[in-house]
Amino acid sequence: MAATPDGDEALAIAFGAHERGAFAQAYRQYASLLYSAAYNVLGNGEDAQDCVHDAIAKLWRKPGSYSAARGSLRSFLVVCVRNEAISRMRRHNRRLHMTQRLAAQPEDHAELEAGDPIERDRVRHALERLPDDQRIALRLAFFEGKTHTEIAADLQQPLGTIKGRISHGLRKLASALKV
Amino acid sequence: MNHEHVGDDAALYALGALSDREAIALQVHIRQCPSCANLVGDAEDAVTAAALAEPLHRAPAALERRITGLLAPQAAFGRGSAVAAIAAAFLLGILPSWYLWQQNRSMQDAVASRGAAMARIAEGPHRRASFRGGGGNVAADVMYAPDGSWYVIVVKGISNPLQVAWMHGGERTMLGSATPHGGLAMLYLPKSHRMDQLALIDGGRIVGRAALHYD
Repeated sequence: MAATPDGDEALAIAFGAHERGAFAQAYRQYASLLYSAAYNVLGNGEDAQDCVHDAIAKLWRKPGSYSAARGSLRSFLVVCVRNEAISRMRRHNRRLHMTQRLAAQPEDHAELEAGDPIERDRVRHALERLPDDQRIALRLAFFEGKTHTEIAADLQQPLGTIKGRISHGLRKLASALKV
Repeated sequence: MNHEHVGDDAALYALGALSDREAIALQVHIRQCPSCANLVGDAEDAVTAAALAEPLHRAPAALERRITGLLAPQAAFGRGSAVAAIAAAFLLGILPSWYLWQQNRSMQDAVASRGAAMARIAEGPHRRASFRGGGGNVAADVMYAPDGSWYVIVVKGISNPLQVAWMHGGERTMLGSATPHGGLAMLYLPKSHRMDQLALIDGGRIVGRAALHYD
């Protein structure tokens, strides 16, 4: 893995050093990606805004959350926002059924940008090529925001088995996508 | 989680499949373990690649304004600055109280009691939510106890008092007034119940709403 696949090492270093300007620049650079990460989990624009704001606020209040050893700043931010969104969804006991989300085409959404259909197909095909047990566990985690404990209960499998399936599945997905 | 190495938990964390408690434990661990941090970074890259394939939405301009406000030196409502804001508001309350002490000892006692409460708030765990919307341009936050036992509303950059209301079931219950001192207003509300939605009201018009979340 490259240190900063998004190609902005200086920004990542400044962000890691907790520089105010780097936080602002990082937000501007990834604004739509971060907002989308939240929106695609919460399904609501206002909640998504609160989520991104709170995720950035938490990072701002907690110096040292990001370091270059971790890798891509973009990926770090996306996962921070996504995890905040999933936490909110759990708190509100709002399970969105997003199984078909990759195929979704919400054309009537005023704020929608085009996205990348080629990338979407790549991910969908990479998921389809995973062994069934890994794909199912991975889908429950990624698209339904379930915890590993819930997935183990749903699939009636030991926790360790589920953890292994998800971990192996994600590694294979990364390999297929050449992340 | 295995506290020596994160192992499979790296993927679970990146996917959001850990509980909040497990995720915090992992974050603590990887701050001191570069190899595990790298493992988590790899998993984050994979999750981001999948996220990139999802529909993309344009970030609203209002969100950028909120982020800019969050990061502005004078508007940082982070933990340290929140404590500083409380301390500043406390001082603003205490200084006039010294004058009032000469005229009204009971009022001074009340201010001192409020100061003690503020000190407890500054040291205790709390949550925070921002007021937004309503067509206003108010920079305001509410800090509140996780069990709903107290709330502190802090409003910046206003010159006139704003009313604070609890919005519930289509009704509005007025809670008090946030009166500015030097551009900063604070209202402390000890309560015995949780409030999910608060509103700031200026002349009968709602200028900001805050959604409060609890476990």
